[in-house]
Amino acid sequence: MSVRHAVLGLLHQRARHGYELQAALAALSPENWDVKPAQIYATLERLADAGLVREQRGTQVAGPQRRPYELTSEGLTELRSWFSVPVKSSLHRDEFFLKLMLSILPPASSPQGSSRVHSPYQVLHIQRSSLYRDLHELIGQRQDAQLRGALAEELQLEQIVMHVEADLRWLELIEGRLDEMAKKLPTEPAPRPRGRPRKTPSESEGD
Amino acid sequence: MKLIEAAGLEKTYAEGATPVRALAGVSLSLEAGDFVAVMGPSGCGKSTLLHCLGGLDRPDAGTVRLGDEELTRLNDEALTLVRRRRIGFVFQFFNLVPVMSALENVALPLTLDGLSDAQAQERAKKWLEKLGLAERMHHLPDQLSGGQQQRVAIARALVTEPVLVLADEPTGNLDSKSADDIARLLRQLSDEHQRTILMVTHDPRIAANARRLVFLKDGVMVDDQRIGAGATSAVRSQLEALS
Ligand SMILES: Nc1ncnc2c1ncn2[C@@H]1O[C@H](COP(=O)(O)OP(=O)(O)O)[C@@H](O)[C@H]1O
Ligand SMILES: [Mg+2]
Repeated sequence: MSVRHAVLGLLHQRARHGYELQAALAALSPENWDVKPAQIYATLERLADAGLVREQRGTQVAGPQRRPYELTSEGLTELRSWFSVPVKSSLHRDEFFLKLMLSILPPASSPQGSSRVHSPYQVLHIQRSSLYRDLHELIGQRQDAQLRGALAEELQLEQIVMHVEADLRWLELIEGRLDEMAKKLPTEPAPRPRGRPRKTPSESEGD
Repeated sequence: MKLIEAAGLEKTYAEGATPVRALAGVSLSLEAGDFVAVMGPSGCGKSTLLHCLGGLDRPDAGTVRLGDEELTRLNDEALTLVRRRRIGFVFQFFNLVPVMSALENVALPLTLDGLSDAQAQERAKKWLEKLGLAERMHHLPDQLSGGQQQRVAIARALVTEPVLVLADEPTGNLDSKSADDIARLLRQLSDEHQRTILMVTHDPRIAANARRLVFLKDGVMVDDQRIGAGATSAVRSQLEALS
């Protein structure tokens, strides 16, 4: 699982504060994915050091409140390349699911990222192509083992075949329910900023 | 070189109360030697596409070219000849003549085309042997298992040495072991005999034998991908661990 890419994906959608990221991530991800605030802040710091995110420019912020983070163009490049590779195996379902959920989010409205990095169909396509390439290879090997009479090997291969097959069926199921998923996107709970509360919306958003 | 090239195929069935648009503009071409699986949910137009490619049905719009012949322009008689001589069909139900032996069933397309019984049976025998049915040649269809009957049907499709083999759910009526065997056989025909094959299936495991996958949805092609080479590193390392 990649907190790093989750953060990049959410910042692509729009600039956010650390606490907002945590709420968004919690709303987005499977329940068993417990990301601690400290982890988010540490990730943001590392991403900022690497030049992939930065504090948003040009926003005036009152008092001790920090500016929200935004994605840099390097960050966008990194996010694109993450989307374009399939997730390696069924052991990493959470990571695949993260890509899918991020791809379903309504496209970014901010000026620096006004379009989707990847559509959910592209995410599914990339994953499915990769699984089918595996399956093609596995079935060839299994048939080979069968012809050689290597029963133990054949049965072991069959087990891997069945796993890949199950993943493919799971993708099919997801594809059939994408529209439903897009409609039921979890809503982010309105975050409660830490520290001193903002005075009025117009004041804190002034330009 | 493209062996078969279909462009802009459209087909609407108007017989029922509401017309059904089975193909809504499908373009697809196959290289000689390609092995393609067509997938997609039931009713998405797979069989209709196969029928249009094989000259069993005519599209409302679009063209199908097989080699240098444009099938969509041929009259019925010429189309029948192309179908009989250049295309081999395999269907889900084996469609063998119940009162004829395996050998006679396989020889049938040749005798229909005017070959003598002796010549036809000699060629039929060769294909039955290649497909592992030497011992079963003189059996009637109902003395054969489902998998064996489908092998006979495949031998019958191949006996005319067609340039293109079209198979519609060839494993749909078989148990999973026989289905795997038939899929492997098709893969062998493609690898070792350089046949060009288009197979419709909804089973991922069967489809994965092909080298290319085409997905249809609601009469439209939504995906087209090559799967013939390049497993992921994860699977390669699992394979290495086994050997
Ligand atoms: N002869 C026919 N008359 C009327 N409707 C048909 C006929 N053949 C197919 N259809 C309809 O056209 C659509 C596509 O059918 P088909 O090509 O058989 O799909 P598939 O093989 O993918 O299941 C379906 O909705 C089916 O009901
Ligand atoms: Mg069909």
